[in-house]
Amino acid sequence: MNRRRFPWLSYLLVATGAVLTVVPFLDMVMTSFKGPGEAGTLPYRFLPRAFDPSNYRAAVDQLDLPLLFRNSVVATALITGSVLLTSSLAGYALAKLRFPGRDFVFRLVLSTMMFPPFLFFVPHFLILVHWPLAGGNDLLGRGGAGLTVSIVALAMPFLVNGFGIFLTRQFMIAIPDEVLEAARIDGAGEFAVWWRIVVPQTKPVVVTLGLLTFVDAWNEYIWALLVSTADPDVMTLPVGIQLLQDHVDPTRTMPVVMAGLVLSVLPVLILFLLLQKHYIRGVMLSGLK
Amino acid sequence: MVNTLAPETTERAPHPTRAAAGALGGRGRARRRQAVVAYLFLAPALLFFAVFLALPLGFALLLSMSRWTGFDLGDIDPVGLDNFTGLFADGSTFLTPILTNTLLFALGTVALALAGSLLVATCIDKLRFQGLWRTLYFLPIVTTVVAVGNVWKYMYEPGGLVNGVLNALGLGSVAFLQDPDTALPAVVVVQAWASVGSAILVLTAGLKSIPGSYYEAAALDGAGPGTVFLRITLPLLRPALLFVCVTQFLTGLQSFALIIVMTKGGPGDATDVAALEMYRQAFSHGDWGTASAAAFVLFTVVLAITLAQLWIFRRKGEDA
Repeated sequence: MNRRRFPWLSYLLVATGAVLTVVPFLDMVMTSFKGPGEAGTLPYRFLPRAFDPSNYRAAVDQLDLPLLFRNSVVATALITGSVLLTSSLAGYALAKLRFPGRDFVFRLVLSTMMFPPFLFFVPHFLILVHWPLAGGNDLLGRGGAGLTVSIVALAMPFLVNGFGIFLTRQFMIAIPDEVLEAARIDGAGEFAVWWRIVVPQTKPVVVTLGLLTFVDAWNEYIWALLVSTADPDVMTLPVGIQLLQDHVDPTRTMPVVMAGLVLSVLPVLILFLLLQKHYIRGVMLSGLK
Repeated sequence: MVNTLAPETTERAPHPTRAAAGALGGRGRARRRQAVVAYLFLAPALLFFAVFLALPLGFALLLSMSRWTGFDLGDIDPVGLDNFTGLFADGSTFLTPILTNTLLFALGTVALALAGSLLVATCIDKLRFQGLWRTLYFLPIVTTVVAVGNVWKYMYEPGGLVNGVLNALGLGSVAFLQDPDTALPAVVVVQAWASVGSAILVLTAGLKSIPGSYYEAAALDGAGPGTVFLRITLPLLRPALLFVCVTQFLTGLQSFALIIVMTKGGPGDATDVAALEMYRQAFSHGDWGTASAAAFVLFTVVLAITLAQLWIFRRKGEDA
C-alpha cells in the first residue's frame, strides 16, 4: 500500500463518513436546546437561537424521568448481574469439570444462539401472563396478569445468555488445571475453587461480557414495550420517551423528546467511551449486532 | 444477537468416557461427586433454557397450528396448517408486500453497509488515529434504537436537517417517511447508518490479517492500486466479508424496532416487514396463531438465506 504519499482521498472519505455519523447526534443535542416553535419549522436552522436548558427540566417533569431511570437501572442491573453469574457458573462446569453429558450440554448452549429473538416475543409474553401463582394467577396460570405486572418481567427473558456461557467457557479453558488441582488437594470444594481461583482470573471476560450485556439491556426496546403495555409502572427509558413522542404534537415537544433522549443515551455513551476497548473486543467476539 | 458464526475454537474437552473408566472405589465416588457438582453449576442455565427456550418453542409450534383467543389455556383450538395457508392465501398481504419489503430492507441494508464499511475500512487502514475514527463510527451501535429512530425521523421532516440541506442546495423538499416510494429506502439508510460501525470493525481486522509481503510483491511486479485491491485485498478479505454479509442479512431480516419507532410500517404497508407483522398480529389483533405461523415462516426464510450465503461463498472459495 502506498504509505509515502499523504492519503488525501482517504482522509476526505473517512472524515466525510465520520461527519455523517456524528451529525445526527449533534442535531439531537442542538434540538434539545431549541425554544418553543423553533424546532421543525422552516427554514431549517442547525443551531438554536439561544441555548435554552428548560427542555431538560420539562423532560424530567413530563416524562417522569426518575421512574423511567429507576426501571431501566433495575432491569439492566438484574440482567447484567444474572448473565455474569450464570455464565461464570455454567462456563466453569463446561470448561473445567468432567461429567457425563458435557459435550451434549455444550452443544445445547451453542444451539441456543441459533434461534432469532422474534420467535420468542409471543410465547415469552404468554408464559409470563400465565405464570402460576403470580399476579393473581392460580396454580394453572389462570385468572390474573401473572408476572407481566412485575418489574422482573423486564429482565426475565434475558437472565441467561448462551453466548455469555460460550464466551466465559472459552476464556476459562486457558486457566491451567494444575492450579485448580492444587487447590482441590488442599481441600477446597468446587465452589471455593470457582469463587477464589477461577472468578478472580476471569476479570477481562467479566468486563467485556458485562459491558455488552449492559448496553444491550439498557437499549432494549421491543420487550420492554410489551411489558409496559401490561403495566405502565415498569416502563423503561426508551419506551417512555417513545410514548411522549407518539402522543403529543411533535413541533412543540420535539425539543423535550430530544432532551430526554440525550439524558437516556448519556450513561451508555460515557461508559462506552471509558471502556471502549473492552466493548469493541466483545463485539469482535460476538459477531455483529 | 445471533451468534452462529462466532469464531469456532477447536479445543476439545477430555473425553467423558475416561471419567467413567475410572469409576471404581474412591476415584469413582469423586468422579460421581464432580458430576453432581457440575450439574449444580449448570442448573440455573439449564432451568432457564427449559422455561425460556424449549417451552416457548413448543408453545409457539402448538400455537402456529391452533386458533386461540389468548385467555384460557384450555381453549386452544387445533386448526392444522390453516394459519400457514392463510398467510399465503389470495388477498393476504404476507407475501407481497410484507415479505418482499423484508427482503428489500435486508438487501438494501447489507448493500449499503457493506459498500460503506469496505470503503471506510480500506481508507482507515492508511490513516493515523485509527482508534479515534473507529470510536466515532461506533457511536450509533451503543445508542438505543429509540434515539436513532427519532433523531432520523425528525431529520427527515420537512423542517429537518436532511431537507434543510436539500433546500440549501436548491432542491425541493421530500416527504421521505410520508411518501410510500421513499419510506422504505429512507429507513434502509438509517439501518445501514446504525450498523456500519461494527462492519468496519470486522473488515479492519480482516485487512490487518493480510500479510504486508503480498503488497510488497505486488508493488515489485508493478501492479496498480486497482489490481492490488481486486486481486489481493478482496479475495483475502473474503472471510470477513462473508461474516459481515451473513450477520447483517440476519439482522436485516429480523429487526423491526427501528421501523416501529420511525414509521410503524406505514405509510399504508410501505415499510411493513415480517417480524413487525408477526408482532402486530399477536399484540394488536390477538391472533396468536397467525403470529406464530408467521414467525416460523420467517425463521425458515432466515435459515435458508443464511445457508445459501454460506454455500455460495464456499463454492467461490473452491473455484479460486
